[in-house]
Amino acid sequence: MITYAEHRLANGLTMVVNRDRLSELAAVNLLYRVGARNEDPRRTGFAHLFEHLMFRGTRRIPDFDAPVQEACGENNAFTNNDYTDYYITLPKDNIETAFWLESDRMTGLEITPEKLAAEKSVVIEEYNQRYLNQPYGEQWLLLRELVYRVHPYRWPTIGLTPDHVREATLDDVRNFYDRYYRPSNAILSVSGDFDPEALFALAERWFGDLPAGEAPHDVLPAEPEQTAPRRTEIRRDVPATQITVACPMGDRRSADYYRCDLLTDLLAGGTSARLYQELVKKRQLFAAVNAYITGDLDPGMFVVTGQLMPDVRVEQGEEALWQEMRRLAETPAAPEELEKVRNKFEANMLYGELNVMNKALNLGYYAMLGDLSLVNGEAAIYRAIGAEELREAAERLLRREKSSTLIIHGGHEA
Amino acid sequence: MKRNDTSFDRTRPAVRIPKRIAVPTAERHVTAGGVSVYTLPAPEYGVARVSFVFRAGSSWQQVPFCASATVNNLAEGSRNMTSLQIAERLDYYGSYFDVSIDRDWSVVTFVCLSKYFDRTLEIAREILLDPQFPEEELAVYCAKSRQALLVNRTKVDFMARELFARSIYGADHPYGTSSDAALYDTLRREEVAAFFRDHYTADNCFVVASGDVSAARIRTLEAFLGEMATGGVTERGPFPEPAATAHAERSVEGAVQSALRVGRTLFPRSHADYVGMQVVATVLGGYFGSRLVQNLREERGYTYGAYAAMVNFDRSGYFAAATEVGAPVTDDALEQMMYEIGRLREELVPEAELGMVRNIMAGEVMRILDGPFGIADVTIENIQNGFDNSYTAGFMEQVRAVTPERIRTLARRYLVPEELTTVVVGPDRAGRNKEHNEQAK
Repeated sequence: MITYAEHRLANGLTMVVNRDRLSELAAVNLLYRVGARNEDPRRTGFAHLFEHLMFRGTRRIPDFDAPVQEACGENNAFTNNDYTDYYITLPKDNIETAFWLESDRMTGLEITPEKLAAEKSVVIEEYNQRYLNQPYGEQWLLLRELVYRVHPYRWPTIGLTPDHVREATLDDVRNFYDRYYRPSNAILSVSGDFDPEALFALAERWFGDLPAGEAPHDVLPAEPEQTAPRRTEIRRDVPATQITVACPMGDRRSADYYRCDLLTDLLAGGTSARLYQELVKKRQLFAAVNAYITGDLDPGMFVVTGQLMPDVRVEQGEEALWQEMRRLAETPAAPEELEKVRNKFEANMLYGELNVMNKALNLGYYAMLGDLSLVNGEAAIYRAIGAEELREAAERLLRREKSSTLIIHGGHEA
Repeated sequence: MKRNDTSFDRTRPAVRIPKRIAVPTAERHVTAGGVSVYTLPAPEYGVARVSFVFRAGSSWQQVPFCASATVNNLAEGSRNMTSLQIAERLDYYGSYFDVSIDRDWSVVTFVCLSKYFDRTLEIAREILLDPQFPEEELAVYCAKSRQALLVNRTKVDFMARELFARSIYGADHPYGTSSDAALYDTLRREEVAAFFRDHYTADNCFVVASGDVSAARIRTLEAFLGEMATGGVTERGPFPEPAATAHAERSVEGAVQSALRVGRTLFPRSHADYVGMQVVATVLGGYFGSRLVQNLREERGYTYGAYAAMVNFDRSGYFAAATEVGAPVTDDALEQMMYEIGRLREELVPEAELGMVRNIMAGEVMRILDGPFGIADVTIENIQNGFDNSYTAGFMEQVRAVTPERIRTLARRYLVPEELTTVVVGPDRAGRNKEHNEQAK
């Protein structure tokens, strides 16, 4: 259970505070409601490039990292399709340093052509390191392209191609900053041993007079319903063939999100789960298997994936994955098995609330979803889902005609 | 990016540096069988963690992959329970079970909700006191581990890490060796069972319990440990002297980046210069904004990340700097790494930079200690190195005492360019100068 108090500044900045009386640290999390979903299709990867630029200094503070480090702190950031998140942990006495830095870069970013050029090459190297120079690194590029035709989820956060990053201009940077980096588009969440009211006052001091600007409202194209199976097959120099099957599912706030979460737990939540026990251990068709949902703000993906053992045919592996999906659609899970995945969810939730950083992250995320009470309320939602309800969701969603299949053929294939 | 300046005075807030980092002492009980149990109670969180630590790392094995196969197959079946039953019980309680292994030690950790402590311990008994290593489970494990290793060995950074260990210690040294993935196929059940018998004994074990661990729970734990076999292999002879190679290189067709490593063997954590060298490594590449990051990432855009660190083993330790760079800039990146190492030997680190590094190192320790379990990790590491938790406070004092002169002295003493090993794994660099190619042999 995470306790919290909420406050909204006149300029639209949302603030949430959790009091943790045991910690010596403060975690300060600043979430901007902007991600790859908001990008121009000709400038994919830009939200992430911009996240990097946010560390390149402002008019007042030329180096962002050094003051954090001098305050015994650590900071980082990440970007995904839906949002961009900046976080700092530091001794609680130094929290004002974090407010000073974050309020400053919400308004005073100063990007020169040189800084932009240097950061572009860092991001292109990140592209190389994490997507091109890794076995199966292209899978997200290819899978998203297959599942989404019009929605911006069709490209990954890193972008469709390094060329889009290369072509980014200073004007792009300016427009993006003006449109999305606004108090009204941000959520500041803090966990640490603080009186929430005192912290709200401190936030008013540092963030209160930043100009509100207009909160952006991007209208994104809705993905049309899929009616026929889709497929991409490529051959790469990887040791094992990888099969990935994805089916469209609801958005993060839909009832199907929770159903699909439990369904993927039945398939792959822990070593006793079905895919591992059936396909890795018993039938020995796969070396590794997984199932997960993307949990995006707009309708997401239900993904089942595995790497074949040598000498197993692709059709055989694919059929085995579908057998497990059919089983979910045909037979309701036994009460014991359902209880297991619900217990596991509750335990994992508790394990995730043990330090200030996770709590600040969680609060920011649920505030972005638009319902902070979910931060403690989801266990009850999972508890209320019955076996037949799960089966029905599997039957409705896990269908061949709605599926996209990506095969990355490897070296030892039969 | 110009917006109106605001009226409020935005001068930099003052910073307070924590004077002392207090690490609670772990209370030590010794069981009848001689196992030390260290407890760090924090009942507020409603969760408990127990870690069993064994002298059973890979440097103890005679047969390739035997040590990791043992720890990874502990939960694959006992006389009373099958692998599936064990997994189902743990998952049902929402208990988290994890194993890890390094060259010297293996660690088996259980995390559970307070209310399932006793039940989780019942499963721990099957895992730690009575594993049977069923033939068919081991076969599945070996097949998929072999596959996973083959996948890893297509990644340049993984290959560079293995090649670096071989190049600084020698291919036959217990801290340097790596084995052909095909040897997974020849690993026998008897070898794994024997490794378990020899190393998973009370004489090779200590336990750290943290979180919601009441006296009653510790008694349950001690009763459990009373059943653990004693004896086993607790001693071993000296290791061979490390045999370092100056330069090693491996070409990987189609790689987009080269993985680079520069470093050398040094000494274990107990050595008087260890903490000093840790500060040296941090200045060079131990944080975001370090000299390597400034040079290779911020100024040149060669890489996404660059690092330097000291790594400690029971009987040795090493210094390494590492990065992955775009293939065409490999040579210049290596030159820049050597340039930054050289700068540590020639120039005094400015006091402001060193002050920041000290604060970073203090903050790092504070972050690890946040929450009920971080302190368990610190305690385990301290015990492994022969210290108690007062080490951490002493460590911070040592860090604070390091001066610019001392850094230069240490860099001059230990980071001698001719004594450093360089490893490059990446696309073939046919056009490179010959000198390097010859050194590669």
